[in-house]
Amino acid sequence: MRASELLGKEVRDRDGTPVGVVTDLRCVQDGPPRGHLAALRVDALLISRAHSGTLLGYDRGRSQGPALLRAIVRRLHRGARTIDWDRVSRYDGDAVELDLSLGPVSPGD
Amino acid sequence: MTAGRTLNLNLHLLDRQVVGPDDRLVCKVDDVELEPDESGRLVVTAILVGPRALGPRLGGRLGRWTAAIADRLAADRDAGPHRIDMRVVTEIGSAVRVDRTREDLAVAPLEQWVDEHVVRRIPGSRHESE
Repeated sequence: MRASELLGKEVRDRDGTPVGVVTDLRCVQDGPPRGHLAALRVDALLISRAHSGTLLGYDRGRSQGPALLRAIVRRLHRGARTIDWDRVSRYDGDAVELDLSLGPVSPGD
Repeated sequence: MTAGRTLNLNLHLLDRQVVGPDDRLVCKVDDVELEPDESGRLVVTAILVGPRALGPRLGGRLGRWTAAIADRLAADRDAGPHRIDMRVVTEIGSAVRVDRTREDLAVAPLEQWVDEHVVRRIPGSRHESE
């Protein structure tokens, strides 16, 4: 399969609740040698909420500086999670399914 | 026990330049092939190159159109995207280094032409970070 088939795919927990989308695949270089290097093996999913919601600061009148950027970045990364590959029960369907319950990503995350 | 190096496929591998031992550009990483090993873990087995690799990533009608054109122009329609096995990779850093030149790896001239002159000129086909 291709990495692009997993990236952007919806992730659901054991209860079928959507918990985000795959934004990246973390790999560890711990496999048997494949040519010059040890093989890269996927060991975790990085998932994020599909919709970040409104960005902070658009309605601000004051000049926008680094503090605003930090706030925006923090906001965008809310709900980002790293899920061990061992918790993936299925990845070849229309969504990646996990074997644990996460509940929906809440705004307070 | 020494921990292996970690990297993120989207951040560190996709869309990176691939360079040969002569420092000349070979191609860019358009997609990555994953195969399960005996324990069910997905292993990175190859870099995929060209419009048949990039098309599906564009998604939607644009992506299907890209892949369809590439299929029509391809010498071997069943072959799939051009594949560079990970065993030729010597280093993964700001670029991906391989031990062969572009000619050695037969990155198909026609596919490369289509990629440079058609696919990459399509609005929206570039990676977000570019």
